[in-house]
Amino acid sequence: MLDKKVKVKAIRELGADNYLLTVNTPEQARLVRPGQFVMLKCVEDLAENPLLRRPFTIFDIHRSSRSGKPAGLDLLIKDVGVGTRKLVQTRPGQLLDCLGPQGHGFQVAAEMRNRVQLAYLVAGGVGIAPLFLLAQSLLTHGIRPVLFYGGASAADLVLRENFERLGIECVYTTEDGSFGERALVTQPLAQYIRSYRGKNIRMYGCGPWGMMKAVHLLSIENDIQCEVSLEARMGCSLGACLGCVVQTRDSRGEEQYLRVCQDGPVMNSRLINWNTVPL
Amino acid sequence: MTKESDKASFKAPHMAVDIAGVRFKNPVMTASGTFGYGLEFSNLMDLNSIGGIVVKGLSTAPIKGNPPPRVYETPSGMLNAIGWQNIGATEFVARKLPVLMNYDTNVIVNIVGFELDDYLEVTRFLNDCPGIKALELNISCPNVKKGGFHFNKDPKDTYTITAETKKASPRLPLWVKLSPNVTDIAEFAKACEDAGADALSVINTFVGMAIDVEKRRPRLRFMTGGLSGPAIRPIAVRMVYEASRAVKIPVIGIGGIASTEDALEFLIAGARAVQVGTANFYQPDISQRIALGLQEYCRLRHIEDINELVGSLQPYE
Ligand SMILES: Cc1cc2nc3c(=O)[nH]c(=O)nc-3n(C[C@H](O)[C@H](O)[C@H](O)COP(=O)(O)OP(=O)(O)OC[C@H]3O[C@@H](n4cnc5c(N)ncnc54)[C@H](O)[C@@H]3O)c2cc1C
Ligand SMILES: Cc1cc2nc3c(=O)[nH]c(=O)nc-3n(C[C@H](O)[C@H](O)[C@H](O)COP(=O)(O)O)c2cc1C
Ligand code: FES
Repeated sequence: MLDKKVKVKAIRELGADNYLLTVNTPEQARLVRPGQFVMLKCVEDLAENPLLRRPFTIFDIHRSSRSGKPAGLDLLIKDVGVGTRKLVQTRPGQLLDCLGPQGHGFQVAAEMRNRVQLAYLVAGGVGIAPLFLLAQSLLTHGIRPVLFYGGASAADLVLRENFERLGIECVYTTEDGSFGERALVTQPLAQYIRSYRGKNIRMYGCGPWGMMKAVHLLSIENDIQCEVSLEARMGCSLGACLGCVVQTRDSRGEEQYLRVCQDGPVMNSRLINWNTVPL
Repeated sequence: MTKESDKASFKAPHMAVDIAGVRFKNPVMTASGTFGYGLEFSNLMDLNSIGGIVVKGLSTAPIKGNPPPRVYETPSGMLNAIGWQNIGATEFVARKLPVLMNYDTNVIVNIVGFELDDYLEVTRFLNDCPGIKALELNISCPNVKKGGFHFNKDPKDTYTITAETKKASPRLPLWVKLSPNVTDIAEFAKACEDAGADALSVINTFVGMAIDVEKRRPRLRFMTGGLSGPAIRPIAVRMVYEASRAVKIPVIGIGGIASTEDALEFLIAGARAVQVGTANFYQPDISQRIALGLQEYCRLRHIEDINELVGSLQPYE
């Protein structure tokens, strides 16, 4: 984990208030594992509001077009409030404070030893962010990913072409039926789970709490291990303020608050007490 | 430039301060609850560069804390209701303290409890632990429903808990961290001094509240939380000014410090040292930068000893 002043390389509007922000930072890019995030703030007066940095998952590692080596980070940012607004209004050349990569990511290497063959990746809206590096990592480990990607409308299903370019199967749903199946993302997911006969399968989810809870419940019903990437308001991202906790239950039923920033953001869904929303 | 002034400008100013017989290499510390157990920041700054680290409030046994959401950002500040979550003093001493002791900085332990006996128990335990330089009694945390809070409602109760805790820590200096949620901070400062406190930490967070108008519910599950950050700084400076004039023991200034200039305000108002809190979250090496900045301020103004600044507030002509 490093704290760097990084330069905005590019910012691309994706529609539905989503932006792809690319920052130059080779040293940080080399450290990234799927599921990790960075904390960002525009470098201005330190006293500038909002004060706190904001967490964003690393969507992809940006590679140098010449050498192919890690050169920066691609971040998917949805404009939802003051902090994100400032970030999406940045221009190439502008400096950002960037702390990371932070957090505990997906346990992909461990899954290889379990001879997992198939992985269901489930995203709701901007929850797509951690799944792209995950999909690439699964592929290099010989695990076949299938993406289930849901949103309110077609415009919300941003960056889907990146997944299609990986040549993986993608299943889309929208609430208004403007693209893919008119359904909640968990509906086709449930069908796929039912029709699959094999055993070594995993699920990964990221999105709104209710969606992740539904994914978790499906994983329990079907006895499939499931990891989710959580969101919480953060103070420090360093594990110091204890502001970002989620309520968890260990195997003995012991309740405990774990830090989303360091013990997560990716956690086994069975650990989480799904009755307490952290946000 | 003459040779003399050349020499003076190159002489490193004396930055060390003394708090109850303990030497701090400079007057900058990190505030409890905003710097974890210190080690969380060791990759991001040089822990040796600051005078001290006040670790997260500790109780004898671990405390689980409040349900989330626990933090919410407000203009120039934030609300928190962590609820004293901590790993427990035993675990701290076994696992964290030995690592912290490798750094050349003073470790101060903030202590919390629900009842007087909780405070006394953790105090007795920590008093015997080498590597700790002082205890900071937190009687002012607003985030726990029972206990704690009432010790700062009435100066008599503040006196009692201070006197009892002082008896339980014969070896270690006792600092008392005051709540700003009182009408007259001087009265509480005096009660602590009379009860034998060795120093005062001024201040903890203000009780605040924020509401989500769509859901019509509080932003924090605990309902209220402690307000910290630059938003509280002017009130904190005023309280440090009042407290330091009321007592002879050293006062440590806390509240919204995010720059060298902010720290200087507190020193000039009467603080012997300062603690940096919320700013650590958005600028993890800020305490180191402030320590350097203070030195630079003194050097440029030919101030030989930082202690000259303490309480040096000048009246208008
Ligand atoms: C580990 C992690 C990874 C994330 N990755 C991404 C990502 O890749 N892309 C992306 O667009 N967003 C991501 N988020 C969410 C993003 O951090 C928030 O949207 C952002 O902090 C909001 O800041 P704001 O100042 O714009 O919003 P505010 O003005 O503070 O709030 C506006 C709205 O955003 C919600 N919000 C505020 N803070 C958070 C938060 N920490 N998490 C979720 N919602 C929040 C509030 O409830 C409110 O509805 C991630 C969050 C976490 C914890
Ligand atoms: C997240 C958080 C946790 C805190 N935890 C403690 C604590 O355990 N004990 C304590 O005495 N003060 C605690 N405080 C108060 C700070 O030490 C400090 O007094 C206060 O935040 C004001 O300083 P600041 O404005 O620089 O943050 C906490 C503050 C924050 C923001
Ligand atoms: S954000 Fe501070 S502990 Fe997680």
